[in-house]
Amino acid sequence: MKILLAEDELDLREVVTAYLEYQGYHVTAVTNGAQAVEKAAADAYDAIVMDIMMPVMDGIAAMRAIRAAGNTVPAIFLTAKSQVADRVEGLDAGADDYLTKPFAMEELHARLRALYRRKREYKVRTLSFGNLELDTEASELRAHNTIGLALKEVRLLSCLLSNADQALTAEQLLTEVWPGEGASEEVVWMYVSFLNAKLQSVRANVVIDGDRNTPYRVRMI
Amino acid sequence: MSIYEGYLETMTAVMDRIVHLIEENSRRHEAEHGEKLYEHLSHRIKGDDSMREKLARLGVDPTARNALRAVTDAIGLRVVCLFIDDVYENVQLLKSLPGCSVVQEKDYIRNAKPNGYRSYHMILDVETDAPDVDGHAPGHYFVEIQLRTIAMDTWAALEHELKYKKHIANPELIAQELHRCANELASCDVSMQTLRKIIREL
Repeated sequence: MKILLAEDELDLREVVTAYLEYQGYHVTAVTNGAQAVEKAAADAYDAIVMDIMMPVMDGIAAMRAIRAAGNTVPAIFLTAKSQVADRVEGLDAGADDYLTKPFAMEELHARLRALYRRKREYKVRTLSFGNLELDTEASELRAHNTIGLALKEVRLLSCLLSNADQALTAEQLLTEVWPGEGASEEVVWMYVSFLNAKLQSVRANVVIDGDRNTPYRVRMI
Repeated sequence: MSIYEGYLETMTAVMDRIVHLIEENSRRHEAEHGEKLYEHLSHRIKGDDSMREKLARLGVDPTARNALRAVTDAIGLRVVCLFIDDVYENVQLLKSLPGCSVVQEKDYIRNAKPNGYRSYHMILDVETDAPDVDGHAPGHYFVEIQLRTIAMDTWAALEHELKYKKHIANPELIAQELHRCANELASCDVSMQTLRKIIREL
């Protein structure tokens, strides 16, 4: 099993890595949230273990980005904070569980096992909005008709639908759909154009607003 | 003796007239915009055997009147285009032709059939000086026209082959995959159409 570990404290990162590898996991360790988002998009993991307080991008922002990209991998937060508000924010951002530091390694391991058992049930297959259904497994868009979608179109639309009625900048969408690919903002506009034409062709009552100069937002007509 | 009796000559003239108008329109478009409005255009008078078979299937007598009135596809045209927008441009032309009225139109591009079939179907009533099978002059003849993209045409060719094949090992699986192909081809048609628009805006 592959675990993505995001923890900026060197000592804890090494201890958790050593323990989990000893338990037979393969661990990829990174030191901030931005790296975690990048790794989560580039590779398939069985679970993510992530600190909340990290430089560059904190764990909560990273979790939101990972979920917005349609990634449903089980995730556990490690947090030094004991305030209820932080835990609530972390869980709402898309984490499945949390552990307050300091914690016992055995407990982390037990929670990972528990999450992994539930992984299959957890998977979101279809996203709905208006008269629209996006089947992310079959890469199909359904409303009055059905049409196929390219992989990037599925990811882009998943991301927009998970944030329906919210404005997302081309930069945000690039980070989530084309991470580390050096793609330009022009590609976002082109794929939004593809999606709008396809939404129209299946006669969905849904449209994506925005163009090269303004943020994008999906809404019902 | 042809099932169409003495009307075959007029039918051919009616068909040639519509073909000519579509060709003319495309030539005009090519002179203005540098490209044809369709990729290929085929036409036929439904063969005697096939017409008799169809009338028998409908349970009506094999007469010229039934061939020209009980069914509407004695004269058939197919317009195959490069892009979806070109299909609709041809539809607009057909709606505006003098001496023709649209009897029926079905947009299976915006309302794909459950199996994935996409095409635009029109039935025109074409008026001509020559008499028709009802004894009226000017006479009226039906012309059925199918308009679609190359991708839709390829799909329809394969689906047609499947429909007339007797014994197939996995009919459900093949139908399911054919449906998926229809959705992928539609996806490409729409993407190509969008790219053409983007290129032209540059």
